[in-house]
Amino acid sequence: MSANARQVDVEKIVEILDNYPGEKRYIMAMMQDIQGEFKYLPREGLETIASRADVPLSRVYSMATFYKAFSLVPKGRINFKVCDGTACHIKGSNVLIDQIYKHLGIKPGETTADGEFSIETVNCLGACALAPALVANEKVHPKVTSSGIIEIIKSYGGLADATDD
Amino acid sequence: MKISIDHQEIEVNPGDTILEAARKNGIHIPTLCYHEAYGGQGMCRMCMVEVKNGPATRMVASCTYPIYEAIEVETSTPAIEKIRKNIVALLYRSSPSSEFMEKMYRQYHGGESDELQYSSDFKDRCILCRLCVKACEEIGTSAISAIYRGTDKRISTPFDEASATCIGCAACAQICPAGAIDIFQSDTERIIWNKTFTRVKCERCGEPFATREQLDYIAARTGIEGYEARLCEDCRKKNMAVKIIEASGEGS
Amino acid sequence: MQQTIDLDSRMILVCCGTGCLANGSMEVYQALRQQLSTTEVQVKTYTKTTGCNGWCEKGPLVKIMPDDITYCQVKVKDVSEIIAKTLQTGEIINRLLYRDPKTKKRIKSHHEIEFYKKQHKIALRNIGEIDPASIEDYIERDGYKAMGKILSEMTPTQVIEEVIKSGLRGRGGGGFPTGLKWKACADATASPRYVICNGDEGDPGAFMDRSIMEGDPHTVIEGMIICAYAIGASAGYIYVRDEYSLAVKNLAIAINNARSRGYLGQGILGSALSFDIEIVRGGGAFVCGEETALIASIEGNVGEPRDKYVFPTEKGLWGKPTIINNVETWANIPVIINGGAQEFAAVGTEGSKGTKVFSLVGKVNNTGLVEVPMGTTLREIIYDIGGGIQGGRKFKAVQTGGPSGGCIPDTMLDLQVDFDTLTRAGSMMGSGGLIVMDDRTCMVEIARYYVNFLAGESCGKCTPCREGLKALRETLEAICEGKGKVEHLAFMQDIAETMQTASLCALGRTAANPVLSTLNYFRDEYLAHINEGRCPAGVCRDLTEFYIDAELCTGCGLCSKNCPVDGISGEKKEPHVIDQEKCIRCGECVNQCKFNAIKVR
Repeated sequence: MSANARQVDVEKIVEILDNYPGEKRYIMAMMQDIQGEFKYLPREGLETIASRADVPLSRVYSMATFYKAFSLVPKGRINFKVCDGTACHIKGSNVLIDQIYKHLGIKPGETTADGEFSIETVNCLGACALAPALVANEKVHPKVTSSGIIEIIKSYGGLADATDD
Repeated sequence: MKISIDHQEIEVNPGDTILEAARKNGIHIPTLCYHEAYGGQGMCRMCMVEVKNGPATRMVASCTYPIYEAIEVETSTPAIEKIRKNIVALLYRSSPSSEFMEKMYRQYHGGESDELQYSSDFKDRCILCRLCVKACEEIGTSAISAIYRGTDKRISTPFDEASATCIGCAACAQICPAGAIDIFQSDTERIIWNKTFTRVKCERCGEPFATREQLDYIAARTGIEGYEARLCEDCRKKNMAVKIIEASGEGS
Repeated sequence: MQQTIDLDSRMILVCCGTGCLANGSMEVYQALRQQLSTTEVQVKTYTKTTGCNGWCEKGPLVKIMPDDITYCQVKVKDVSEIIAKTLQTGEIINRLLYRDPKTKKRIKSHHEIEFYKKQHKIALRNIGEIDPASIEDYIERDGYKAMGKILSEMTPTQVIEEVIKSGLRGRGGGGFPTGLKWKACADATASPRYVICNGDEGDPGAFMDRSIMEGDPHTVIEGMIICAYAIGASAGYIYVRDEYSLAVKNLAIAINNARSRGYLGQGILGSALSFDIEIVRGGGAFVCGEETALIASIEGNVGEPRDKYVFPTEKGLWGKPTIINNVETWANIPVIINGGAQEFAAVGTEGSKGTKVFSLVGKVNNTGLVEVPMGTTLREIIYDIGGGIQGGRKFKAVQTGGPSGGCIPDTMLDLQVDFDTLTRAGSMMGSGGLIVMDDRTCMVEIARYYVNFLAGESCGKCTPCREGLKALRETLEAICEGKGKVEHLAFMQDIAETMQTASLCALGRTAANPVLSTLNYFRDEYLAHINEGRCPAGVCRDLTEFYIDAELCTGCGLCSKNCPVDGISGEKKEPHVIDQEKCIRCGECVNQCKFNAIKVR
């Protein structure tokens, strides 16, 4: 299912992992760095980590799926993180999630077919006074309204209307 | 040191778990995720017991609670029965096609299963006791593990694909109390965890007894490769018996 | 950085906590610096970025010292005026000052603003006043004085005694007496020992720890060094939740600065203490706030807790004696050592000494961080400091303690907030999240929200928590969709009890609290959903309908203009109509309508 028509730069993976001793306790940091570089965890990344840290692949895979910070699926060029913390929730974050689904056809955890946009929900960005908040590639958008989200999608080059899937 | 379980005085070693102490003395505490080969995992919570230590009483998991003081343990109170009742009900709710859970439900809940509203999100028969994962770890292959978390937790191979390290030994399926792991097999083939294996026939009796990969794995790890390695367990025993007789000289 | 500011020079502090940054404070800061470098100003000026002032609602906040002026909601276009007027001539720009909604007066100093007046800052003492990247700023405000004091004048035992005497209890939610924890660890026999800071602030709605880690990282570091001395630890870890990248950055800078001064590393200040700190990033798992799960995570495992029949103080990280404390707890330690336990214990209640930082969020006017003495009432926090409910709506409940806590109705607003009072009322103080809800919040939906949150965050290891949450979630969803039955309430109560007694960790044991407390105080709301197919708050989609009262509608069109789904139609000056097929119940139209013509049924 993965978009592994792309060639993953294994040399880059090795370069990143060379920063760490080959020990189990650095697996999280290894994954975080690979995720930071590739915007997701390619399969080769997990396999290389397993051999470096000398742990079974199944264990690394367990960690990659347990921790929400990691994605096994490539994120979009623009990744929306919609805060679903309580403050944002009672100020209507689910409306934003619905709006994104309506206009981009993706649910939390999914990426558009053209690889442009992806959405995920996060548990509280810590910007509760600015609820509802969302982050688009590190940029925090405060107090996003249900019409405001449409403007935000457009500002990042998103389609204006129609619910293609 | 001495403790009491259900008013019975018992001798224990410091550090023993309550469950181990009970089992050694023939006292039954129900479990779902315990296996004597691996010890307690603390996952199913069926083994909860009441512990009195001085004035304080608390509910603990007997399979992981280490004994260091002279405690008094009760293995069956109304509160404990209620826990067991709800645990089997919750598991049966999620695994309605499991005969094992149906049996457990009857035993510890007793009610009519029609009352139970089955989960719309049932996971076949797995009760997530992880004994399969333990077995695979012990074999040394670690082909399966518990993935994701919370209500999405399940057992699988990496990427839900055939695992490079799986040798098709089916130790996981054998140890599973709920019969949740499917093996599809014929005389010549076995399919488990989405991987197909060639079954090898015993050289003596002709019955299929292991997979090619399993034998290769054993050979690589133990160096055992000769005739004995190609026999099924029964035949290996018989073969051993013959050898013993031969070795002890002209027998009767 | 300057040690002191001459009376005729000016210091401009621009808040750069996450909240103000999101509102553009970095652009304001950069505009300020750029214009100051090109403009002739009579006085000498210094600019500084600070951590979160706590009052995110009114940001970007800019403070000018020593005049003690606080400007609110400052935009880039205001910068030239600030320079031309306030900096050049001392003239105050009234429109940028906060306007008290009750007195209608403009207020100059933040000390006079109702949001800050009743606060008593200990954990937050430096935030908003210092540049977190400057260790000199921290030192200037008594920073590292406590560390110096213990290394030269106190024994480890004396340090522990002082912390015990102070009555400090863990601020992360557990409320365990900190000094006793340290003593237990010091009494353990194994070594090495470890000190951990739990920065995995997972409660949605809580951002106290974020602000401290971002805005005053040295207070955490100093607290940990003091503990390391007390228990004989050689290595420390600060576990920061993955989502807090600015906190990670500022902590890293602070650790480097501390190292270069010899406050971390071998032989600190020439003493026998060698201690260093490493930052470990979380992976996005609420359960890792539980200490045994946190330990598992640092060790390189999934964050699954274990039974705590033997405490981490005896067998923690890598099986060795370990102290884990929350960020806010660490922030209090230097103050206790400097001022003494007695001074610290003079504030607060009998069982809960000191102050607590709360994150006051939700439907309240002044949202932000609030630090008050333990024992302050909920009413004082929400109404005096918080300025009451937004939009003049009716208070319904306040959720305390995050997903492990419960909701408190208006009848209990005069409860004093401390560890024990709230627990007796069926909730808990937790890490300090206070989420204010008004009459447009459905308590059944809130229970569903928390259960859904926990169902995804549970580690999934033990049956009562994993399966219990699944059952609760499905039942609550059914109720919110109008498919609930009365039997469901007893069913949930029964499952909840098993979760409380049999779960492996505190997450599981408290996971049913949101359901239990809403059932306790808002049972009629559940019954309305079940028996009448109605959601009184107008939230549950399948049970609500938004409609326009034709009698009241003036046809102004404001609602249809702002409807995100184009679901309202009508001619100008004619009553408008909502298309029920399109309506997503976002409530924008209700917010826009000045004639209260849009109703919910």
